[in-house]
Amino acid sequence: MSYRLLIVDDSSVIRNRIARLCQDMRLPTLDIVGLAGNGLQALALAEQFRPELVTMDLTMPQMDGDACISRLAESLPDARILVVSALSDKYTALKAIKKGAHGFLRKPFTDDQLVEAFLEILH
Amino acid sequence: MNTPTPKSLQALKPADVEVFAEAISHYFQQITGESARVRTAYLQETDSPPIVDDFNGQIQVHGEYQGSVCFAAPKTLLSHILLRLGQHEFSDADHLDVVGEIANTLAGRARRVFGEGLEITPPLTFTRAGHPAPTAVRNRPYVIPFDWQGYEAVLVVHLDAL
Repeated sequence: MSYRLLIVDDSSVIRNRIARLCQDMRLPTLDIVGLAGNGLQALALAEQFRPELVTMDLTMPQMDGDACISRLAESLPDARILVVSALSDKYTALKAIKKGAHGFLRKPFTDDQLVEAFLEILH
Repeated sequence: MNTPTPKSLQALKPADVEVFAEAISHYFQQITGESARVRTAYLQETDSPPIVDDFNGQIQVHGEYQGSVCFAAPKTLLSHILLRLGQHEFSDADHLDVVGEIANTLAGRARRVFGEGLEITPPLTFTRAGHPAPTAVRNRPYVIPFDWQGYEAVLVVHLDAL
């Protein structure tokens, strides 16, 4: 089974790191269909590629992660959304889950923590 | 003549600053497996110039707290972090990106203690040459110096609590 993955983060270093780890690690096949630097870019790529899995930063310019999660939950209800954010308080995590996210990974994360979060959200 | 601080604005307490020192330690331990040596925080002198380094990431803070958190680091330290993040080729744009991401991560971790009232914005990044005008000072900022692998950097916490 393979999954189409969209990576959303305003840091290109973090986008590239997640992409590299997905390719290097022994994960279920993840087909990276797009890299977005904000919520607006993410929505456009999501409409085009219909990802099944999305990693989502929260603090981003133009459209933040919260607003993007709400939109994706409506347009792609089957997509699994993993929030990857530095905002590490419980309220933020609960709010994201309420809006439609399925998991929450705090930055900074290790390689193993990212893999674990993917495996958890996909099963 | 200094403008008196309104009663509704309180300077951070030294104990609050510990949250940021802990965030620095956690970041380096998590990303590199090696702790940073966080030194004693101090209050910046009122008349001293803004602290900047080769690359700087500034987070504006709103909500129940007002001000900014700025991470200032030399290029060599950031190059090492980029390597640890798996990036083997990098430009100044990557250094600006990672310095902003570190600032964002350190400020974001502080919400574990300060809560949702500490609202943060996406990072503003700048080089030593291009630093913006400093934000208005109400209380003197805390400077948290640290070193990692022999490289020195600082986190400048310039916050007032409402």
